[in-house]
Amino acid sequence: MIHKKMELNKALWLSLRYLVLIVISAFTLLPFIWMLSVSFQPDKGIEAYGFIPKKFTFQNYPTAWNYPRLYDPKVTLGTMFRNSVIVSFFVTLFSLLFDSMAGYALARKRFPGRGFLFWLALTTLMIPFYVTVVPMYLITMKLGLINTLAGLIVPFVSSGFGVFLFRQAFLSIPLELEEAAKVDGASDLFIYWRLMLPLVKPTMATMAIFKILWSWNMFFWPLLVIYDYAKMPLNLGLTIFRGQYVTRWGLLTAGMTIGTLPVLVAFLAFQKWFIRGLTAGALKG
Amino acid sequence: MRKTAREALVSYSFCLPAYLIFTVFIFIPILWSFILSFFDYNILTLSAPRFVGLYNYTKLIKDQVFWVSLRNNALYSIVYVPISLILGFIFALLLNDNFPGRNFFRMAIFIPSVVSLVIESIIWMLIFSAHPSGVINRFIRIFGIPPQGWLSDPRLALFSVAIFMIWRSFGYNMLLYLAAMQNIPAELYEVAELDGAKPWQKALHITLPMVKPTTFFLTVTSVIDSFQIFTPIYIMTGGGPGYSTTTVVNYLYQKGFQEFAMGYASAMSYILFIILVILTVIQRKGFRAEQITL
Repeated sequence: MIHKKMELNKALWLSLRYLVLIVISAFTLLPFIWMLSVSFQPDKGIEAYGFIPKKFTFQNYPTAWNYPRLYDPKVTLGTMFRNSVIVSFFVTLFSLLFDSMAGYALARKRFPGRGFLFWLALTTLMIPFYVTVVPMYLITMKLGLINTLAGLIVPFVSSGFGVFLFRQAFLSIPLELEEAAKVDGASDLFIYWRLMLPLVKPTMATMAIFKILWSWNMFFWPLLVIYDYAKMPLNLGLTIFRGQYVTRWGLLTAGMTIGTLPVLVAFLAFQKWFIRGLTAGALKG
Repeated sequence: MRKTAREALVSYSFCLPAYLIFTVFIFIPILWSFILSFFDYNILTLSAPRFVGLYNYTKLIKDQVFWVSLRNNALYSIVYVPISLILGFIFALLLNDNFPGRNFFRMAIFIPSVVSLVIESIIWMLIFSAHPSGVINRFIRIFGIPPQGWLSDPRLALFSVAIFMIWRSFGYNMLLYLAAMQNIPAELYEVAELDGAKPWQKALHITLPMVKPTTFFLTVTSVIDSFQIFTPIYIMTGGGPGYSTTTVVNYLYQKGFQEFAMGYASAMSYILFIILVILTVIQRKGFRAEQITL
């Protein structure tokens, strides 16, 4: 009898847990599902968009993608999508290269000032972005990078977090490997590029997903630096879009869905490494 | 001797690109912004920077809007930090052991943390629509509550932004709690079970104390993040109505990049820096105390 009651209790607990989890998942996912649903509904000019489309249309997607701006008929949401891809690609590529180079030297080489340089890399983590942003803007202006895509890339091609992560990764590789190559007369560049880099692929994956997400999602800096529609990344473009077509929710949500998809795909593909990096980031704190 | 000099040269070359970027975009700016905070400098008027001593700081202390912004940051963090931490902890508890669908629920809860904050802010701005047929207004009608101006009512706007940010971030807290819970030895629970402990007792007396360092870390980083909130405010309310949702960074943006008062904005950024440094020091201290007691 007691045993039966315990079984019943357990089943009750389990179903209660599922109920709570389903409710909370609905809470976290429904805003996205609603966005998706509105993007398939014809524009109504009023705000009565339900979760289930009464009329269904695909037209919002091509229309949003090709929507010409008011000031420049050639610039479309597609242009801004391309800008975001370019920025994310180069930020990710260069930071993988530069961070791994510095991380390699800090982990594997002995040279004067090594400890100081590592300390400097950690210091960058403590300096909030908004405290440096005014002079950053002035420097970017002096370098002639205002209103260019390079202005969105150059300041972010290296990060203290990346240097830290790569240093830790290189530290865990046994020294003998490198010494054997040195005895064989391999150059430093060869050792770094052909021998060591392939051994830190998991860290490369972690950094890549972080940088892709980060650069795709950045907003404050593009808001300061870019004023031409033709050079705006998608994020910034969407806020302009929102301002100009307040009532055209179908178009707006189609544009937003287009902006969400690449991040979601990248995240789902790199999930494992992303979570690894998150916990590494927290532990360093 | 030759060899070590060569080795050093090679090492510096490897470090050069990264540290060049740090120097130009972090180290020079952090010093420059300190110097700039003692100058009157407006890049629109094209006049040279003028030394004004502590004027920017004294003006800032008398600036009502700045104090309102600080208060808004504090209010926001009082709502946002505890709720997003508690939700993170509860759902980490519910999703810690293995059962069918666990990974789906974990991902479903975490996904808002990776999607663009800009896009999510726009979604929620539409959801929070003050129109009677807005999504939230239609939902609360079920309970007989009349439609609200979620983002247009000065009493509600900051609270609405906090709800949105809790929705976005508690999944991240959950993941960090889950990682911490992996490290709790299973024997602790086994012993407790032998003593007849109930699930909630185990959660309260074993799990919660064991994840204390994570709680501490998340509290401090969340407070620090709360003092740097910008994007959702910029998109959803623009700091209004009135100044009811203006935060320090929003005000900094307005002063520095709409009025181009660079000196004034720098002074503001340094005060923000001091606040954040104090919070970080508290974190370090707490962490050390934590390690000693463990």
